[in-house]
Amino acid sequence: MMDEELKVVGETTQFIVIKLGDEQYGIDIKYIDNIVRMQHITRVPKVDAYLKGVINLRGEVIPVMSIRIKMGLEPDVETKSSRIIILKLEQQGTIGVIVDEVKEVVTLENDQIEKIAYDSKEDKNSFLCGIGKCDGGLISLLDLNSVVLESV
Amino acid sequence: MDVSQYLEIFLDETNEHLQNLNTQILSLEQEPGNMDTINEIFRAAHSLKGMAGTMGYKRMQNLTHDMENVFSEVRNGNITVKANMIDVLFQCLDALEEYTTNIRENADEGTNDNEPLIKQLNDILNGGSSDEAGESPAQQEEAPAEAKAPAGNGSKKWLDIKLGDSEKSVFKEAVSQGKKVYGMTVKVQESCILKAARAFLVFKAIEETSEILVSSPSAQDIEDEKFDLDFSLIVISEAPLEQVIAAAKNVSEIEDVTGDVLDPDHIPSADDSDAEGAQEDEPVKEKPGKAPAVQAAPAASAAPAKSGKTKADEKKPAAGKPVVNRTVRVDIEKLDTLMNLVSELIIAKNSLVSASAASGNSSTAVNEQIEYLESVTTSLHESVMKVRMVPIESTVSKFPRMVRDLQKTLGKKMELHMSGEETELDRTVVDEIGDPLMHLLRNSADHGLESAEVRKERGKPEVGSIFLDAYQDGNNVVIEVRDDGNGIDTQAVREKAIEKGIVTPEQAENMSEKDSIDLLFHAGFSTAKTVSDVSGRGVGLDVVKSKIEALSGEVEVKSKLGEGSAWIIRLPLTLAIIQALMVDIGNEKYAISLGSIQTIEDISPADVKLVQAKEVIQLRDIVIPLIRLNEILDVESKKDPHENLVVVVVKKGDKQAGLVVDELIGQQEIVIKSLGKYISKCKIISGATVLGDGEVALILDANTLI
Repeated sequence: MMDEELKVVGETTQFIVIKLGDEQYGIDIKYIDNIVRMQHITRVPKVDAYLKGVINLRGEVIPVMSIRIKMGLEPDVETKSSRIIILKLEQQGTIGVIVDEVKEVVTLENDQIEKIAYDSKEDKNSFLCGIGKCDGGLISLLDLNSVVLESV
Repeated sequence: MDVSQYLEIFLDETNEHLQNLNTQILSLEQEPGNMDTINEIFRAAHSLKGMAGTMGYKRMQNLTHDMENVFSEVRNGNITVKANMIDVLFQCLDALEEYTTNIRENADEGTNDNEPLIKQLNDILNGGSSDEAGESPAQQEEAPAEAKAPAGNGSKKWLDIKLGDSEKSVFKEAVSQGKKVYGMTVKVQESCILKAARAFLVFKAIEETSEILVSSPSAQDIEDEKFDLDFSLIVISEAPLEQVIAAAKNVSEIEDVTGDVLDPDHIPSADDSDAEGAQEDEPVKEKPGKAPAVQAAPAASAAPAKSGKTKADEKKPAAGKPVVNRTVRVDIEKLDTLMNLVSELIIAKNSLVSASAASGNSSTAVNEQIEYLESVTTSLHESVMKVRMVPIESTVSKFPRMVRDLQKTLGKKMELHMSGEETELDRTVVDEIGDPLMHLLRNSADHGLESAEVRKERGKPEVGSIFLDAYQDGNNVVIEVRDDGNGIDTQAVREKAIEKGIVTPEQAENMSEKDSIDLLFHAGFSTAKTVSDVSGRGVGLDVVKSKIEALSGEVEVKSKLGEGSAWIIRLPLTLAIIQALMVDIGNEKYAISLGSIQTIEDISPADVKLVQAKEVIQLRDIVIPLIRLNEILDVESKKDPHENLVVVVVKKGDKQAGLVVDELIGQQEIVIKSLGKYISKCKIISGATVLGDGEVALILDANTLI
């Protein structure tokens, strides 16, 4: 029992900090397979707008989605710092997400993470699973499963 | 005993044998007197028994043993084949299948002894054995012929084998025909776990070229692993000694094979053997508890030439033996890996082609080599594809049996006519297609065919016919399930759909025949008034459809009320690499499978006519609807509307459509990659491919466009 509690207190999670517009978001590093530069995305017709299309990643065809569109932000503007983060998820398989910029990797202790209660009224909240406090700044931690989940 | 390394092989071979038995017993039912069939059944049952025995599956062995006894009696003409016997045999096969399933799932055969079945088998056996008494002495005769090899004679242990009268006559006859007789001793490695299995393989190898006259210990004992490390054989052969020995040595875990030509004048005979030998024979002959036939049967199959009775037949198998295909069993995963590598190679080749084109200053030498590379990769791909192709026979051959059973459960008379069993499909497709086909056949049998009385009234032959036809059509394989039954009552279908709340009465009103038939594929739909064992549980047709679509195939239904219906399944020949036409639409590249393309036409805008507000063109007197791909794909066409249209005419079955594209790029071999289930909403895209320049192009599914 003692051991377990100690572990919980001391447990840390690493996040990759990305930028979407002015806000900082964190993605749990364990889901990240790769980060690639922006490349030509082949559009797939007749799919939801947030699905930008598919790319070729070392011979594999990988779907790419826009977090911005999914979360109802302004559409992506491709810049030099735009990246595609390749995520490996259990349910959906491999998916790429477009981000404006990849900043750094942070290690957060569990007590630096503030869980947020799910508020069904405010839709945007459901894409987050917590808020991380780090060096005075705040990082919104993305709940990838709900980000990637197909909208009904 | 650790047999796990043989488990896979065992399961594979068991399935083959069971399948074979099913087929053969069925044909036995048709013509009960066919000796070839009976022999084939006997051989399969015997191999099954041997395999189950060596793997230590006692229950399975017992059951097959008793089955084999029955076959052996049938073969000897002591029992005639009757309908109830066929039923029992089929039940036995089901029981065996159950054992196999158990073994596959938990490496154990289970605890079902199937005693009632064994009893039934024995009843059949006893019913036929009353008139067998007269023959048994003749069969027993063989037993004394097999003396146990006493020590001595060093490695030439075959010299110790004593021959009985019948064997001697066979021997002499063989010699007079100019055949050679060899004595052989086979030594098995000490480390060998499955001695009996190895011995069996040696027998098999030798029987390729020769006939085994006698073995010592007896074939039965060898099979039961009642031998030390070696056994001896006397074989009759036309092949040179070296070849026979080499064949035996080829079996793994065989340490050594020695052999020599036997002199016909010095045949070791049972008659002049010493008293000790004769005494030794005695217990063998008197072995109680076992019916003589039991002993004779396995021995006879392992060494067909041994029994004097079968002498007339023995030359037949030797001369008419089919050329045995040399095959290798390969794990399908290894083939998948190979296929993936070939795909990578083709992508690399495509990159090379576009890189060479991009550099602009490519020399003829480079181009020549690239062309050569192209032809090599294409043939490589074809070869790998061919390796993966198997005839659908393995899947459909279980259906006659199923229809036979259905006939009994449903109380209808029906016949299954199959054609095109040799049609080949990718292994993965063949494995998957079984269930859907089974559903369709059951459906035809249960819903399609009328009862005999109704059929009579309608002036149809009393026995209903179900057809299963398979054939290749371009890049597709078509499998048709037809019946001459009632056909689909679309009115009943619509009523049912309304009742089930699938459609509203208003919707049903406006439904075409085709739409009504499509309702059948709706999940939870079943028109059978009562739920029967066979179908009517509302699962089935929707499962059939989704399964076939998962294989990139499609189902089409044609039906005429009162005359029957046909379910037509269309499957792609290959799943991985196709020849495609690359086209430009807007600024995007798309691939269209060459298999579905009929022609490519250059059409002037003036030739486009309107029919019911839809664009059509007339081509060689056929009116073909036009599909403007740029509209469907939501892209801006970059072409001037006054320019001539490039129309790719595609077909699906007997339907055609013209796809309007901006430009043709050319033909290319493409590797199909799945878009993944994440983007599965888009039905008109069947996949994607990586082009030579690393870009992704989408593959249009022409079938869904029509």
